[in-house]
Amino acid sequence: MHRLFVFLGIAVTLSAQYQGLKSTWVEPSSNIVLPASDTFDNSNGTVGIINAAGPVNTEGHPFFVPLGTNGRACVNCHQPTYAMSLSAASMVERWITTGGKDPVFAAFDGSNCPNLPQDQKSSHSLLLNRGLFRIPLPWPPKNSDGSPKPVEFKIEVVRDPTGCNTSAEYGLRSSEPTISVYRRPRPAANLKYVMSGAQAIVLKTGMPADVDPETGKPVPMNLMSDAREPTLKTQAVSAIMGHEQAGGAPTQKQLDKIVEFESQVYAAQIAHIWAGPLELPGGPGTLGPAALRDRRAGVLGDNEYDPVFGRFDNWRKGSDYYRASVARGADIFMFRQFWIRDTAHINSIGLGNPVKRTCATCHNAQTTGQDLSAGWVDVGTTNFPTWTEPSTWAESSELPVFKITCSAKADPHPYLGRVIYTTDPGRALISGRCVDVGSIVMQQLRGLAARPPYFVNGSAKTLREVVDYYDRRFDMKLSDAEKEDLVNFLGAL
Amino acid sequence: MRFCLLLAGVTAFAQQLNFVACPVVRDTKTVPCFLAEYEGELYYLGIQQDITSDFHPPQLKHEVLVEGTVAAGPRVCGGIPLKPLSISVIKEVNLACNTLLPAEPGIEAPPAARGAGPATHPLDISSAKPKELTGPQEFTILYSFNDDFLEYAGNRVVNEAIDYAKRTGASSVKVTGYRESTVLSNGTRLVEKDAIAEKRAENIAALLRGSGVSGVSISSKDEPESGPAARRVAVVVTP
Ligand code: HEC
Ligand code: HEC
Repeated sequence: MHRLFVFLGIAVTLSAQYQGLKSTWVEPSSNIVLPASDTFDNSNGTVGIINAAGPVNTEGHPFFVPLGTNGRACVNCHQPTYAMSLSAASMVERWITTGGKDPVFAAFDGSNCPNLPQDQKSSHSLLLNRGLFRIPLPWPPKNSDGSPKPVEFKIEVVRDPTGCNTSAEYGLRSSEPTISVYRRPRPAANLKYVMSGAQAIVLKTGMPADVDPETGKPVPMNLMSDAREPTLKTQAVSAIMGHEQAGGAPTQKQLDKIVEFESQVYAAQIAHIWAGPLELPGGPGTLGPAALRDRRAGVLGDNEYDPVFGRFDNWRKGSDYYRASVARGADIFMFRQFWIRDTAHINSIGLGNPVKRTCATCHNAQTTGQDLSAGWVDVGTTNFPTWTEPSTWAESSELPVFKITCSAKADPHPYLGRVIYTTDPGRALISGRCVDVGSIVMQQLRGLAARPPYFVNGSAKTLREVVDYYDRRFDMKLSDAEKEDLVNFLGAL
Repeated sequence: MRFCLLLAGVTAFAQQLNFVACPVVRDTKTVPCFLAEYEGELYYLGIQQDITSDFHPPQLKHEVLVEGTVAAGPRVCGGIPLKPLSISVIKEVNLACNTLLPAEPGIEAPPAARGAGPATHPLDISSAKPKELTGPQEFTILYSFNDDFLEYAGNRVVNEAIDYAKRTGASSVKVTGYRESTVLSNGTRLVEKDAIAEKRAENIAALLRGSGVSGVSISSKDEPESGPAARRVAVVVTP
């Protein structure tokens, strides 16, 4: 094995827990062979990676070699160490190790805006602080034939800390009007779960689902934060043309090989720093990457008889402090009722507002905790006033702020009406609909410990901050002990 | 025609009540109840259930249009029951609709098919078994006031229509949209927006065509009809 082990002797701005941690970074074109199973340490324990089809020879492999002009391959942003995503800390590490020369920092989307001086750290602050890449999206959105889609709202840039949205070259007023939002990479693993659950009629819109351009069959619409890509293949093409800045389209063979790799790689936390292995018999049977490989995808888990992440009964009863805490956390996730209110695409689709339910109402798909139907929901992370940013946003937000004004003829956003301030309109940038502003497609809740920070905008530095957000947002009144249990539970996934 | 019913201790009129008001949510030991107040009296609308249930509760931050008939029987969750009942969430946001009452001893929600936690038994989310239908069939999809959102129940009907059209290789599928005009108990007339009948029909036609049904034709009746049943799309499938 030619793996390169980088020992981090640097404290940087990381917490004490990170110090001395071993890390591995897979360089593009390193020609290594990835073993059938592998483990990587993180602050919470160890993440496990399984290649179900056996060892992967990365030599010449289109996921692992640059296909474009900026030296990047898929693996730059989807690293085994970080559950096939990245952590923000890993970006700081790369900046230090490479003097900012790693292709991950490419001007196009690895900096706050391509027109900024690229050798300065501040030009990459969103990637270094929050693990965010720039996602440039055309406005108005386009139909598949390239014609503009009809839209229900006007969008204005009211705050532009990166300069990109007002830039004459890259912004909304440029010759190719573009909105730049900044988002976390989603794990390129466990994808059979992401790619299952397709329904011809989307529950959340009552309209036909997008279809696979090759087969004409409906797709689940759970890919990317805004469901803009129907299939892994179209996603790969966009990533190659965008993130990798390729001059021409990839070959069919390259695409097949990428999809084949992505569809057999599984990632999940496999051991806890104190409690040890998570996969031992007597556990819930959902933890660790082998469970992800073996379990069935597309199963609803918002129920008592076959819950989202299985049963933790033995752990609840046992004497191990950490395992008992994880079990209690799983109970909170499944059973702890609170008022879910003012969430577009949950409260507004027939459940009523508010609805007294649990985390599993939204995170309802077995084994990954996504939404089994097309997963976009405005849980509030990007829309004022529930957003994750400081409420004195005018001064301090690191993110752009957009003002959305909906046409009087359109249905308003169900809880925010016709004027909305948002850091990321989410699904609305694709659908052009006012009701979709701030709706983000739920990520899979796996390998979380390996890939902080959380939420689409990297605003929650730790799982505790995720839990604190929910506690505030839904007035859950969680005790400190409950928060700790929930954090331990999420960290074990 | 109106009937007067004499009940034990309570006099009630089998009276049609149409009104727009803020909903009131009352927590209970189990699921919350949804109520609405009209002229100083509290009416019971329904409880929280699931997306598959016939009753979809109203929403805080929105007024609700209630079209119901005062029903005999004891109060439910502290409100007078209405049956039959149709409710529609008014789309515009109204921040004044914000009443969430805490649970009170002695006030209980009716038994719920699904409690406030995870489900205890499998949801019936598959579309119903194809009925033994033959000949021309009409499938009716109902909507909320001024709304073209296809709710779960309508979703199921559309799937039935698709199945039937495909199974019989239908020669014609006629999709007709309708809209409602209703008179509130205070005399105000509410009419659904102009284009809604057409929009409903277009949406359903898109679903049928998207599922590979051919021979779909669309029309809409812009002259509003009265009563909640007018908010509909009729799909006539002729084999
Ligand atoms: C510069 C970093 C970067 C590179 C390079 C990159 N990605 Fe990504 N990837 C992202 C980001 C950011 C997202 C989330 C985008 C969004 O949500 O809008 C993402 C999302 C994805 C997803 C969606 C997962 C989900 O659950 O929604 C897949 C699959 C994926 N990438 C595969 C690939 C492949 C295949 C390649 C190479 C062809 C690639 N990526 C290259 C950053 C990158
Ligand atoms: C109303 C639906 C809803 C409820 C209820 C809900 N979530 Fe979420 N959750 C979402 C959505 C939507 C996202 C994506 C938002 C974003 O990324 O900004 C999300 C994101 C997350 C993430 C971030 C994952 C990542 O990869 O960054 C975690 C962790 C999470 N939720 C845990 C929970 C927990 C724990 C609860 C219960 C306390 C809960 N959620 C309740 C809808 C919900």
